[in-house]
Amino acid sequence: MMYQPKIIGFLCNWCSYRGADTAGMARMKYPPNVKIIRVPCSGRISPELVLRTFREGADGVMVLGCHIGDCHYSTGNHRTAKRMPVLKKLLEYSGIEPERLHINWVSAAEGEKFTVVIKEFTEKISALPPFVETMK
Amino acid sequence: MSERLTSLRETIEKVLPDVDGVLALRQGPHGIVSPYLFHKERPGELDKLALWPKEPLPDTLKIILRAHPEAKLAIVCRGCEERGIVEMYKHAQFSLDNVILIGLQCEQEEAEFCRCAKPFTVHAKTVVGQPIQGVADPLTDKIAAMSLEEKREFWKQEFEHCIKCYGCRNICPQCFCNICALEDEKWVQTGRLPMPNPSMYHLVRAMHMTAKCVACRECEETCPADIPMAVHFRLIARDVKEMFNYETGASLQQKPPQLLVLEEGEYERTGLPH
Repeated sequence: MMYQPKIIGFLCNWCSYRGADTAGMARMKYPPNVKIIRVPCSGRISPELVLRTFREGADGVMVLGCHIGDCHYSTGNHRTAKRMPVLKKLLEYSGIEPERLHINWVSAAEGEKFTVVIKEFTEKISALPPFVETMK
Repeated sequence: MSERLTSLRETIEKVLPDVDGVLALRQGPHGIVSPYLFHKERPGELDKLALWPKEPLPDTLKIILRAHPEAKLAIVCRGCEERGIVEMYKHAQFSLDNVILIGLQCEQEEAEFCRCAKPFTVHAKTVVGQPIQGVADPLTDKIAAMSLEEKREFWKQEFEHCIKCYGCRNICPQCFCNICALEDEKWVQTGRLPMPNPSMYHLVRAMHMTAKCVACRECEETCPADIPMAVHFRLIARDVKEMFNYETGASLQQKPPQLLVLEEGEYERTGLPH
């Protein structure tokens, strides 16, 4: 059987999760590798959470939030935009492919963009070896 | 007695009558150098004043100021210790109203030992010794130039030696949280050695040192397994400078980026999609 990557998507309740809803209601197709976890805000995703997700065996992690300026809590996603790039750099410095962590902004109306983001990310992760094997 | 030590002693003797105490290093009865609070009633003790090896004095300052907030103190600080004091002040650990900084400039070989880019003080009004230029950091440059596979293998081997003694966290002048994420079973598993790869302990600590690490290298110095963990912090410090234009300990006014919202032009430098 072909290698199917495990991807965890942290979606913010107010934009990205509704965007996924929009995609679902419009019956748009996207790869089933992504397991979606709804969180109150993308700013709630601490680096510890992402690292633990990797430790538990995820091959890729995506954090989707509202566009900058549209956050339900005004500046919650500013925190995401500040800490996630640093975490990506840290992954790179520790020898983990920084592509395994993806940050993007999807609004409630962007069902189409949601499917595109997931398709592209799944393709990217499928090209990489399984995370657990690289860590042996 | 070296020239720098003599001039430091003279400076301390000048300051001593006006303050409640001067925090510096003293050679103890068994030749061990440790932090000590010199007092005006015991000036003879200055015979035992020492300079090296350095100890994290800002931590001791914090402990004294927590117990005696009104105390008027002077502290002998090197460049890194001064940066530590500035960062602790900015994170509201103590007030600097009653603290006098006595700057101590490092010498060439001390700077090379620490691979220090800034072995001089900036804010201290009283300064002992001549400031020297920063030195290069060959180890950090070497690791930065490695390929992804080489880095993975390098850190795997290094972190395998970790015995999770928490020494790096305990000695760090910037690790002052009341509740530490590294003690949380959710993030760092207890009872497993060597730690599972990737090492959550070291990666979480590296993340928490973002825009906080003052590059004093106390963690590497105290590590019984000789793990060069400061390399992570220094590489991230370069990125923080690039993305958020923040240098740890450089300014008393500029707030750390993690306490602020995004500013004009910052988002473009993070490399996130539009």
